Amino acid sequence: MSHLIDTFGAFVDRQAPAHPVRARRLLIAAYEAKKWQMRLAPDRGLPPSKRELCLIMMQSILDCLRRPEHSAMVSLFVPCEPLTALGVHPYSVEGLSCYLTGAGAYRAFLDHTVEDGVPETLCSYHRVFLGAAGMHVMPAPRFVLHTNLACDANQLTFRNLAGRFHIPDFAVDVPFAHSEEAVRYVAEQLRKMVRFIEDCSGQKLPEEALRAAVGRSARTAKNYRRYLSLQNDHWLSGDVTSELYAAFMNHVLLGTPQVERFSQMCLEDVQNAPPRSGLNLLWLHTIPFWQQPVRQRLNFSDRVRIAACDMSYEGLVHMDASKPYESMAARMVYSGFNGSAEYRVKAALQAARTVGADGVVYFCHWGCKATLGAAQMVKQSLEAAGFPTLILDGDGCDPGNSSDGQVSTRLDAFLELLEARNS
Amino acid sequence: MIYTICKYTPTELLASFGQTCTVLDRIPECFDRAEQTAHPNLCGFGKSVLEAVLSGGVRELVLVNCCDTIRRVYDVLQRTGACDFLFLMDLPHEACGCSRALLTGELNRLLNTYATYSGMEFSLPKFQAAFRTNAKNCGPYVGILGVRVGRDLERMMARCFSLPVRNLTCTQGRCLNGDSVRAAGTLESALDAYAAELLHQVPCRRMDDETARQALYRDPDLRGIVYHTIKFCDFYGFEYAEIRRQMDVPILKVETDYTRQSQGQILTRLEAFSETVSGPAPETGGSKLPTEGVFFVAGIDSGSTSTDVVILNQDKKIVGTSIVPTGAGASAGAEKSLEAALRSAGLRQDQLARTVATGYGRANLGGGLEQSVTEITCHARGAFFLNPKIRTIIDIGGQDSKVIRIDGTGHVINFVMNDKCAAGTGRFLEMMARTLGMGLEEMSRTGLTCREDITISSMCTVFAESEVVSLVAQNKDVSDIVHGLNKSVAAKTAALAARLGMEGDYCMTGGVAKNAGVVKALEEKLGVSLFISDEAQLCGALGAALLAFDL
Ligand code: SF4
Ligand code: SF4
Ligand code: SF4
Repeated sequence: MSHLIDTFGAFVDRQAPAHPVRARRLLIAAYEAKKWQMRLAPDRGLPPSKRELCLIMMQSILDCLRRPEHSAMVSLFVPCEPLTALGVHPYSVEGLSCYLTGAGAYRAFLDHTVEDGVPETLCSYHRVFLGAAGMHVMPAPRFVLHTNLACDANQLTFRNLAGRFHIPDFAVDVPFAHSEEAVRYVAEQLRKMVRFIEDCSGQKLPEEALRAAVGRSARTAKNYRRYLSLQNDHWLSGDVTSELYAAFMNHVLLGTPQVERFSQMCLEDVQNAPPRSGLNLLWLHTIPFWQQPVRQRLNFSDRVRIAACDMSYEGLVHMDASKPYESMAARMVYSGFNGSAEYRVKAALQAARTVGADGVVYFCHWGCKATLGAAQMVKQSLEAAGFPTLILDGDGCDPGNSSDGQVSTRLDAFLELLEARNS
Repeated sequence: MIYTICKYTPTELLASFGQTCTVLDRIPECFDRAEQTAHPNLCGFGKSVLEAVLSGGVRELVLVNCCDTIRRVYDVLQRTGACDFLFLMDLPHEACGCSRALLTGELNRLLNTYATYSGMEFSLPKFQAAFRTNAKNCGPYVGILGVRVGRDLERMMARCFSLPVRNLTCTQGRCLNGDSVRAAGTLESALDAYAAELLHQVPCRRMDDETARQALYRDPDLRGIVYHTIKFCDFYGFEYAEIRRQMDVPILKVETDYTRQSQGQILTRLEAFSETVSGPAPETGGSKLPTEGVFFVAGIDSGSTSTDVVILNQDKKIVGTSIVPTGAGASAGAEKSLEAALRSAGLRQDQLARTVATGYGRANLGGGLEQSVTEITCHARGAFFLNPKIRTIIDIGGQDSKVIRIDGTGHVINFVMNDKCAAGTGRFLEMMARTLGMGLEEMSRTGLTCREDITISSMCTVFAESEVVSLVAQNKDVSDIVHGLNKSVAAKTAALAARLGMEGDYCMTGGVAKNAGVVKALEEKLGVSLFISDEAQLCGALGAALLAFDL
């Protein structure tokens, strides 16, 4: 992390215990400044679609912090079309954690969770946020929506947050099986979820508005899948941060006009990009976007780039706007993150073929047991299909859980291996 | 024989096929196979299931879709084909109508799959006859809450308490009465009733609505709680914090990794906790202390690095002390240290009226000892004797660090200890000193001043070491690095202290109390000043000697 970010983060950390609201204002000011910088002097290396993405995400984070009373706290895999169709803002816990780490402000929050009895092996996306909420730096939203997909941490964290903020909580239970019966079971709950949202927000959701939103989701999914298939022979450079943020776009903001537009821009950018010239990586699971060795190697490089990340394309199944509930339920039930890890393996194989991956990085985020447990299975299957796979241990959100040295050695050796294979 | 792991398993259904169900509880020697097929950072229980099956001997296994770990354990086992019959039963997170229908579907699936696999017929009357009601327990007890405990650990707990111990974790405390199942006329209605009974048990932490769990810790007969968690299992830590905040009942958190490692440390903590719940164990018939005249007692603290001895006279005045390295054997170390203390007091061993031992090695010291008491009770007693205003004791030794809260009479109210990891202990500082190529003494002085405020973000010793190496490579000032390390130890200790709630005055004991840099960082972090006695290192032995008067 840069010195400036470290210093800012340490300053927020020091303010947080005694002056949480001041710490929040500092963060808002910094994010606001960053947004203006992105507007006025955007990163020239980024294609227009990714610049747009950074702005949309930054605005979304600012909305959560500034207007929490118009927001609903959500876990990443909850379908948010019913919220956005009603003008309620989705307040993404994992998204905010990324932005806190991005601003260097996480240490005091993590320390606070230890004092609070939160297990140190809980996913750090959740710990950072729990700490920030526990110290009152994060504001209380209107209500909470969560699901057991894709991990146990969701259940623990969101239940705890709802209790802490004294706000109502709705849980969507996704069964293990990939089946139409499971889709019906989830669709039924999503109907209840909409009634819950209507009760909490005091607004009625017109079916038309929901259909329109799911229609946008369907078109976005189609555009994004097409964009991924064009990554195979075009070279669109980018950075790891926007690659990770695409995951938030395609989950909590899916169904909004902005994200549909973003998917169109992705498509245009890749169509205008020069032919592919370097290594294509398929990245599985979250990305430690703040980590120097990862940034140095993968940002705007001619040598290698992340062509696709499963966090951003998973769930982009075929959707039918005339059946909005079943479509949203299908996203959850047929997600590669739901049920047996064999589904995740299958989805990875398909994506590796689609983007013509030279190699696959399977990122074992500390504390993400669902991912860790499948590491060897995924490696075995991908390698059997001819895709060299690196299992990379680290942490997407807590720099204390990984070491730059280990990450850089592993990544370098892997890239050397891929290059030797291609030459 | 069908192996199971959870109280939600439909064992009565399986029993109707004439099968016996047993809880899978094998503590492996190592986790090699599990780590090769999955990952090291899964909970020890999940890894033990992998080990048990992959090493053969578990042919039929019915799992419940409990958590991320069990899902992956199932996936890995499914691939290896190591079981003849492997089934994962999905379990909803709620107990509402739809969830009940989902579970009924799962029960049906299990029934059909097992019937096909075994070639056996399912019998409804046998199923209806398979329910057993457990005898009702009453009277005061110590409850084991939290996540599953293996049989070994449960036995160890039972031995430590004079009260009965009730295991209320994942695999125990199951009570289905079966009335609604027996009343059902068809298989369909029987399974539906069964699903409802299964879902209406006292919920575990995996369930969305866990309000009914309060019955577990709001029971008036409950005298103490041993709260068990397993490393890398996140379900239960939150509840422990919750209970501690809400309830006055004494509670001890024990974290294991589902191996036999650290049994010694766990035993110390259980014994100390038992002393808190019901007072020190009664006298075992040792010699009587004289009621008048001149006599002497000794306390021996057999620690991992040093063995300390304090000799008191009848007026509780210190007449002799010694600190010697423990060396290879606890018992030889104790002998040497006792000899040295006797020499310094000018006494012979037969002049000691009573000797009390404490510390890790206390169980291994030879004869001549009347009593052994845990170092927690001893530290409390010693510190309180040195300064009666003390209410919180922070003890950082070589292997572990602990925080002890005492009341106005010097008795332990509560305590916490670090887990197995070295972070925040003397050992952490020793390793870092070695990395920096300096002695501990020098390190203690070096960290007092700093120009740049460096934060060492890794708590893990291995990562912290590589952070230190890279800071050195960046030409950072050594005193700034040491200052960062001191802050890291202080943060870890302060977090431990916060778990008990802050109450002054504070004192610090143990070897690290001699490290001026850490003391300063800790004072800053806690915002209090720490009382450090010249006898800080002898506190445990002093407490043991003082306890010789009471036992
Ligand atoms: S990284 Fe893993 S544990 Fe963390 S929120 Fe995502 S799926 Fe859950
Ligand atoms: S946590 Fe619940 S579901 Fe899991 S094993 Fe324990 S009782 Fe069963
Ligand atoms: S100990 Fe915890 S993580 Fe491990 S299998 Fe049981 S509930 Fe799951």
